[in-house]
Amino acid sequence: MADLAAFTRFARTYKEGEIIFSEFEPGDSFYLIQSGRVKITKIVGDIEKNLDILSAPEIFGEMAILEGAPRSATAIAVEPVKVLEFNRANFEILMMGNPQIALRLLKVFTKRIYDQKRRFMILKLDDPQAKIADVFLMLDETQGGIAFEEETGDRREFKITVPDVAHWAGMDAAEAQNVLSHFANQHRIELFVDHIVVKNINDFSRLVNSKRKQ
Amino acid sequence: MPKIGTYRANSVIYFQGDAADKIFVLQGGKVVLNYSNIETGKAIREVIQTGEFFGVKSALGHYPREENAVVLEDASVLIFTVAEFEAFSLKNTRIILKMLKVFSNQLRHIHKQVESLMDNPTTVNTEMGLYKTGEYYLKNRMYAQAKYVLGRYLTYYPAGKVAEQASKYLETAEAALARYGSSVPKDSPIMSPGENTRACPPSAQEHEPKEELTDVAKQYYNAVSLLSNDDFQGAAKSFSVIIKENANPEYVAKSQFDIAKCFMGLKQWDLTIKHLSTVIQSNPTHQDMADMLYIIGDAWHKKGDSAKAIAFFNKVISMPGDDDSSARIKAKKALNTLKGA
Repeated sequence: MADLAAFTRFARTYKEGEIIFSEFEPGDSFYLIQSGRVKITKIVGDIEKNLDILSAPEIFGEMAILEGAPRSATAIAVEPVKVLEFNRANFEILMMGNPQIALRLLKVFTKRIYDQKRRFMILKLDDPQAKIADVFLMLDETQGGIAFEEETGDRREFKITVPDVAHWAGMDAAEAQNVLSHFANQHRIELFVDHIVVKNINDFSRLVNSKRKQ
Repeated sequence: MPKIGTYRANSVIYFQGDAADKIFVLQGGKVVLNYSNIETGKAIREVIQTGEFFGVKSALGHYPREENAVVLEDASVLIFTVAEFEAFSLKNTRIILKMLKVFSNQLRHIHKQVESLMDNPTTVNTEMGLYKTGEYYLKNRMYAQAKYVLGRYLTYYPAGKVAEQASKYLETAEAALARYGSSVPKDSPIMSPGENTRACPPSAQEHEPKEELTDVAKQYYNAVSLLSNDDFQGAAKSFSVIIKENANPEYVAKSQFDIAKCFMGLKQWDLTIKHLSTVIQSNPTHQDMADMLYIIGDAWHKKGDSAKAIAFFNKVISMPGDDDSSARIKAKKALNTLKGA
């Protein structure tokens, strides 16, 4: 990590349990963790769901570059946390002085662009079955070979739950559950509490391609 | 060191769907990227300029190529591995900054496209979402978090649909924090968000303090309970007993403040002003100073004296300390209303 001593005036500290920002709050700054852990949570129904736990030197809140967009999750300090706070005003100074941070942010942006693009393509499909199938294709593209799934031939195992699938497909959970049950009845997938097995990923690929071309 | 590659006309550097692990810079010749617009399906042809990078996003983001890179005229390109590109860019920060700008514009654009397909439930529900988040924390006794979120709600939506309820919740959260301190109870679900079966109504009287209560504390909580049930008369009586008996300075101070709320509830504006002025004079370091000044301002406002009300609200705002205190937020809100009138 670069020498960040010159940037102490952008440093913020948070106590254990303190909220850094809340979901739905408008935000114009994003953060680089210097020490401590930050958990990213979302309240779904009546449960606060842990999406991620981040530590130095990770970046969070970067979607603040979308002016006026509300925060999509809550960031809470798990323990005493030190961060650097970026905004439009100090962004360039910070980045010029810290190429590593700039590069890290660049990677975060590439990932976000891809996520959004894939999301768009999924939402663009009219057929609910194709939408859900495309969610699995997307996961396969990004998680391929990375510990997340066990890859054996055309069979894929995804650590994903029904509400997550619903979120990506832009459906409510009940509708997503319907489609998934239908797939399960057709023996195209197997549903588990904490993961879903797609028996033949190419089968889903064909399904999506046939619907996308129409 | 990056390698130099040469490609003949009509060859393809990479296909859409290929795994991406290289980043290219065009040195000479002509290369185009062919892909279809994700919105319209229209074929798009993007000509790469000499000196321009291509294949950056998919390589850095570890996802498949999104376009075909086709050579139109014999071309030479610099080929970086991701590691080489990183080493190179770290010495040329301007390049990263330039790419950051391009990528953030792309991100904004695609984000808008996605929003347009979402029937926009997100923007419409932002206000209620923030409120519900605060309510969730309050119900789960995560008072510090509730205080933060509800404070933000009132900052962004001072005249919002549920601003009144949010103020009440905020007061409850602050009262609980004052009582239990800012440290979260050990058995709180803060570190284990999965288990949160302790949802309970967020009213003050529900929260049993952990230790055995002294008599004066019992008296006090009993009075608070009456107050929260809008029994202003009964609550005022109980608070005044605590003040008269003068057994415990902490509970006397709390009662001096809370009895003012009773007077306000009974619409006794003059009595409220007189009482709080006396308290402030006798105890200029009272812990609820900002809130008391706010109530005096509110009483003047209710009496119809806007000038005096504004003076007190300004005092609240100019007090040092917590920017997001509920008194300050309420004072700002009141000032806005008064100035708007």
